[in-house]
Amino acid sequence: MSQLVAMLKPDFLLHHALYGSVAMGFVCPLVGVYFLLRRLVFWGVALPQVSAAGIACAFMLQGLGLNILAGPESQEKHLAIIGSLVFTGLSILFLAVLERRGKGVSEGRIGSLYALAWAASILFVAWNAAGETEMLGLLKGEIVAISESDFHAMLNVFGLIAVTMFLFQREFLLVSYDRDMAVTLGRSVLVWDVLLYLVVGLTVSLGVMTVGPLVIFGFLVVPPMAALPWARGMTSFSVLASLCGGASALAGFYISYTCDLPLGPVVVCVACAFLILSWLAQAALGLRGRSAWAGYSGA
Amino acid sequence: MTEPLIRFKHASLGYGRTPVLAGVDLEIPAQAFVGILGHNGSGKTTMLKTILGLIPCLKGQFVSRGQAAPRFGYVPQKERLDPIYPLSAYDVAALGAYRRLELFAKLRGRDNRPLIQRCLADCGAAGLAGKAYSDLSGGQKQRVLIARALATEPEILALDEPLAGIDITTQKALLKLLKEIKEQRRLTILMVSHRIQAERGLFTHIIWCDEGHALMGQTEEMLAHGKLGEIFRTEL
Repeated sequence: MSQLVAMLKPDFLLHHALYGSVAMGFVCPLVGVYFLLRRLVFWGVALPQVSAAGIACAFMLQGLGLNILAGPESQEKHLAIIGSLVFTGLSILFLAVLERRGKGVSEGRIGSLYALAWAASILFVAWNAAGETEMLGLLKGEIVAISESDFHAMLNVFGLIAVTMFLFQREFLLVSYDRDMAVTLGRSVLVWDVLLYLVVGLTVSLGVMTVGPLVIFGFLVVPPMAALPWARGMTSFSVLASLCGGASALAGFYISYTCDLPLGPVVVCVACAFLILSWLAQAALGLRGRSAWAGYSGA
Repeated sequence: MTEPLIRFKHASLGYGRTPVLAGVDLEIPAQAFVGILGHNGSGKTTMLKTILGLIPCLKGQFVSRGQAAPRFGYVPQKERLDPIYPLSAYDVAALGAYRRLELFAKLRGRDNRPLIQRCLADCGAAGLAGKAYSDLSGGQKQRVLIARALATEPEILALDEPLAGIDITTQKALLKLLKEIKEQRRLTILMVSHRIQAERGLFTHIIWCDEGHALMGQTEEMLAHGKLGEIFRTEL
């Protein structure tokens, strides 16, 4: 316990990594709830991998002598962010356009994109042997080595994402739940969809850069799944998912630090433990689905 | 004679470039209770979606009275709403009041709760407010969706097959509710249905969709002497 208290102090050696992980744990599920509600969970698998392919591509181009950003070593991260954002943004645009058309098999498209992203990541690394080490570090997530300036930039972006998700919750809910109703109320479904997808793209790109594709997928999907059976409306759903994500990150960091285990997999395992606890609690209380509403008054 | 609320002139309605209904000429008067009838795939929902502005009119003219489009209260088919959303009946009804709640309105002290509670009460759904919407029965869901539509303070209430999959007793109760709402609020009601049994006494007008055409008239006129069957070779 005393070690946990010591970890939370600002003079803890890895306090940037701890605070960054927890911030990401709080914020990613706020976006992830819409993956779950819109039944786009597989986007959560494919997009982080696409983002990783973008990072690999950016490093490959640099390895081939196409220096997009000339400058000190820290510019490498900016290069990676650009690659990640471009790939993720284009993929979201591609998937969103096809979703709106409503033709074809959605899961098939996402599965194909995932396979392509994996293959492309490997090929980009193969074509850029010199940058392999840095790139693998970035793909695994380099939160432990995050600099002061990057840490503050990351907190600002995550703060902006959290504010956006709460400020426009009603709009995102309306266009996700009943698009026709949104149109009859004079709302632009396209505008709100684009804003939501921009936030998704930013979260995934920054998340993959910071903690890697595995953890970001875990944060996007697992905490919302654990929270859904206990949610009493969108606000409580978002808050519960966010708390679950934050708690998973904190507990995961503690276990990782004290047991000298890799951070990412531990955090995902802790989040999954919360999910299993949620299921067990439902079973123990004899609850089915979301019938735990007795006594709740939305009014 | 009062100006019609909605008017189609030589209109073609459909999706993409494919018309489902062609040569549509009809006028919907204010405060009418219009049944949009026809068999499955005849274009009933296409007509409703065009009126609601969800799909564009392919050809011809579709105009609504005045400069601004009328305010619609839309009641979709209840199966269209995904039960995975953790929303209470109150939350669902509150979505209807969204138009009235501008950004930061709450900070300025505006509150839509009395409106939403009144709409739920008017639909006999006040006691359902705290329950999970996905746990409600078909009839209860329809009441909540009608309350949501009323929360938009509409001029036109548009319902898409509200009686589908609901037992006879509940159907009668819902029709009684619609009749009361129309009388109290002096609304125009458009209701898509593929049958005309219990509803027959409510409709002031019928739009009959069949074989790519739509015909409108007053209910008694349309039903008299098997006229629909004569025109469209279809038995009601």
